[in-house]
Amino acid sequence: MTTPPSSEVTITSTYIQHGDHIDTIESVDLVFKEQRKLSFTYGAIFFIVTLAVPALTVSVEGWWRTQIWGGFTWNYLFISLIYYVFLWTMAWTYSKKADALDDRLAEVADKVTEDVAEEILEAGA
Amino acid sequence: MGDLNTIAIVLVLILVAMTVALSVFSRRFTRTTADFYLAGRKVGSFANASAISGDYLSAASFLGVAAAVYASGLDGVWYAAGFAGGFMVVVFFIASPLRRFGEYTVPDFAFGRFGTNRMRLVAVVGVLATSLFYMAPQMYGAGTTWKVLVGSGIPGAGFLSDPYNLGVVVVGLIIMIYVAVGGMKGTTLNQIIQFWWLAFAMILTLLVVSFVGFNNTAKDELMRFNFAADLGTESESYLMGPGQLTVAELEDPAVYAQAELAMTEAARHTSDPEAFAAAEMARIDEAIATAESPDTMVNVVVFQKNKLHQLKNELLGTEDAQFFNQPGHRYNGFDQFSMVLALVLGTAGLPHILNRYYTNPSGSAARRSTFWVLVFIGVFYIVSPMVGLAGRSMVRAAVDSGVAPATADYVGGLLVKSDALMPTIARIAGGEILMGIVSAGAFAAMFSTLAGLLIASASAVGHDVYEKYINPDATEKQKVFIGKASVVFFALLAISIGYLIPATGLNTAYPALIAMMVTWAFAVGAGAFVPMLLTGIWWKGTTERGAIAGMIVGGGGSVVIIFMNMFKALGTIGADAGGIVGFLANLTFPTLFTFPAAVIAIIIVSKLDGKLPKNVDEIWMRIHGNAHERWEKEHGLDKASGLFTSGGK
Repeated sequence: MTTPPSSEVTITSTYIQHGDHIDTIESVDLVFKEQRKLSFTYGAIFFIVTLAVPALTVSVEGWWRTQIWGGFTWNYLFISLIYYVFLWTMAWTYSKKADALDDRLAEVADKVTEDVAEEILEAGA
Repeated sequence: MGDLNTIAIVLVLILVAMTVALSVFSRRFTRTTADFYLAGRKVGSFANASAISGDYLSAASFLGVAAAVYASGLDGVWYAAGFAGGFMVVVFFIASPLRRFGEYTVPDFAFGRFGTNRMRLVAVVGVLATSLFYMAPQMYGAGTTWKVLVGSGIPGAGFLSDPYNLGVVVVGLIIMIYVAVGGMKGTTLNQIIQFWWLAFAMILTLLVVSFVGFNNTAKDELMRFNFAADLGTESESYLMGPGQLTVAELEDPAVYAQAELAMTEAARHTSDPEAFAAAEMARIDEAIATAESPDTMVNVVVFQKNKLHQLKNELLGTEDAQFFNQPGHRYNGFDQFSMVLALVLGTAGLPHILNRYYTNPSGSAARRSTFWVLVFIGVFYIVSPMVGLAGRSMVRAAVDSGVAPATADYVGGLLVKSDALMPTIARIAGGEILMGIVSAGAFAAMFSTLAGLLIASASAVGHDVYEKYINPDATEKQKVFIGKASVVFFALLAISIGYLIPATGLNTAYPALIAMMVTWAFAVGAGAFVPMLLTGIWWKGTTERGAIAGMIVGGGGSVVIIFMNMFKALGTIGADAGGIVGFLANLTFPTLFTFPAAVIAIIIVSKLDGKLPKNVDEIWMRIHGNAHERWEKEHGLDKASGLFTSGGK
């Protein structure tokens, strides 16, 4: 087993430092806002589609009565097959977007914290 | 019993032997608490996704989903979709921040986020409540499956002479040994194998019914499952289900005529409907003639009622017919919403699932794991309802041909207990070997979920209570010992719960007890943890008092409503109880009320309280900051490593 290099963690109320990488409250707030936008947009789509199923079930007769292929109604086809494709697509695109956001924000965070970090390190010295 | 069960028992024993062997093998790699509880935090996405899927797919999913579709048609399919949708809340809102925050358990998160011991202890109570609610149906499933599979206890061994009790004890002891010995690494490895076994068993069953088929000698045809066509055939006639009437009721000519009419409808797709219905009614006549008392129950077939437009029908005095491909058999309009919300929100509140997110090497890996979980369980939940649909025609054909397995009871070509569908259809379509594979799959589902629950409960006591409060200076060896002792304690508690379920009469109070109990566990998790986690992660203004208020309102409220529902089913609360007691006791799924109530409680109390932790910015940076991940990435530490290394952080 190899021993991982020490990250030399420093935590204060205004910044967290792991090795050369620093998170300041300003950079984290930026990350948080972008991440919140992404998560809540996807979350809203998910809940709208999921709750649309029972909403259609209780209100639109053609949704559960009309047979469209063999014994499939729109309701049966959607929740037995199409809903899963929807879930996979949402999870996949969300993961990719969240990863891209992580990478983009990591660069931004490093830039945002660069000046602050210098000040912090200088003040510490 | 005979050869049929011998092959099944041998396959189950192979699974058990493999499980114990893997745990013993993993033992040498479990030296630290991070190894014992978190498998060293280096489990790769694919492996973790397999383990999470094994953790998640319990007896309710393996036996219950196909059975629910078999009995209820479309509403059973909706039940499966609810299970799958739960992981979306996890991936969007919880997986990545929880992993970034680090730590070991959900109570650790609660303590780290809100900064008080009181918060940690409230979370420990929530973990134990949710886990115990989830252990109950697993142990009940263990006892009932053992009863079907082995069919006997140990003669003259007291309470172990009952096969149900013996099954509960045997399964409990096996899991206790393998979790205590192997810790999270052994459990992870076993859950991976158990998941693939149960997925293989389910998919193989579908392949066999689709391509090999069943030789229906009554109609002289080879039956093969065809999704669209079979769905059409099953939806042509009214949905029929098993029911029970007393001998006294059946002596009423009008009731008897209705039973006869229902039997005629149930016989519609048999080789000779008239002869089939006549033979079944002759069996009912014989049961009436030989009954010991007028109160003796007789199995009959009944037309299934549609609950979808219950209110409208009650007002107008009308009744909707129920068909297989239409909604309304299990859920009325209100429950169509509340059931899916209970499952979707409850998944994100299951401690044994959330604990697994700490085993990911990074937040990104946590998201990838969840995507794969959705793929794995999605395929499982697509296939299970198909097997449930196939069961309608295959079981009926087997009864029609006179070759239905004697291990189950039937009426009018239907299984009396739909939970027996999986082993029954496996036996019909694939013979003894498929029956064995499916039976082992059922045990794999129980083992993997119970193991995750034991680890979650043990970590709540061993890590969150012992290490933090009782002996903060404990050596690594002492910590691991306490973890193992906690596993033993909770395994014995699980065995006791399993033993007590029939003793309280719960098993006869609910027609589908396993599915109902699992939904209760989801409801407790959804009320206790999800509001606290969502607000704690996404709203900086959440205070400790607000979070505790939310957990008490959501978790405590769910437990109270569930017990009221139980008391009503057991007759302690009368069926005519009115007012608030009657209303709450009637709630099958409390989440629709407890979840928003908990969120509102958190917001109101937090606003009134206003006392944020002094280091709230530091906490915020730990949850949403990624300096640690950037550093790990720079040093190549964000990759998964093998399970067989020791000494994780």
